[in-house]
Amino acid sequence: MTVPRARLLDLMKAQCQLFSTTFNPEGLRLGNKVLRKRLLGPTLATWYPPRLVTHKDMLREFAPFELTVDNQKEDQRRDHIAGLKYRGKSAPKKIRTAQDPNAKKKKR
Amino acid sequence: MSMFIRSKKLDIGCYVNARVILDHTKRKAVAEAEPERQALRYIIRNTSLPARTRAIAQLQLTQMHPYTRPTGIRNRCTMGGRSRGVLRDFKMSRFMFRMHALAGNIPGVKKASW
Repeated sequence: MTVPRARLLDLMKAQCQLFSTTFNPEGLRLGNKVLRKRLLGPTLATWYPPRLVTHKDMLREFAPFELTVDNQKEDQRRDHIAGLKYRGKSAPKKIRTAQDPNAKKKKR
Repeated sequence: MSMFIRSKKLDIGCYVNARVILDHTKRKAVAEAEPERQALRYIIRNTSLPARTRAIAQLQLTQMHPYTRPTGIRNRCTMGGRSRGVLRDFKMSRFMFRMHALAGNIPGVKKASW
C-alpha cells in the first residue's frame, strides 16, 4: 500500500502547524535557521559580574544625613598631606591664567 | 567608536583593565545590535527574496560597526584580565583558578588525590 504524496504533504503541513515550524516541502533555502537560533547577546553581556555597592558608595549615599564613619586610611592620607604642606613639600598650586586655558593640550 | 562610547561609570565589579573594559563594551554593543544583525542575516540567506534586497542587506551588514560583531568578543579572566587559558566554567585563567581552588575559594572544587 502506497500513500499518495498529497496526503503526506497534508500530514507535513499539520505537523508544521502543530509544532510551529515552517512548512517548506520543496526544501528551499529560506534562511529560517538564522531565526531558529536563540539570541546570545544577553548571555554574552553578562560575562563580567556587575558592579556591587561598595563601602565608599554607602558613605557617599549617607553623607546628606550627616552619618560619618571613621576612615583611618583617608585620615592618614590627609594628615600626611598636611605634614607635607607644613614643611613646604607639597605639590605646587595649579597656575590658571586667562591667556592659555588650553595649556595642558599644547603640552601634548 | 562614537556609537559605543564606554559607559561613563564603571559598571563591572571584577578585575578591571583597559582590555577588560574594551571587551565589556564590545559585549554590550553585540547584545544591542544582535536582532538587527540576525534580521539582515535572515534576509541574506533567504533565496526567495529578490536578489537586490539581499545584496542591500549584505552591504548593510558589512557597514555595521565592527564592535557589533560577535567574533570580536574574547572571554577574559574575571580575576586577572588574561585572555588565554581561561576556564569557561569558572571565568578564570588557569593560574587564577589554581590559586583560588587551592585556597578553597571555589565551592565544590578539590584537588584530586587517590
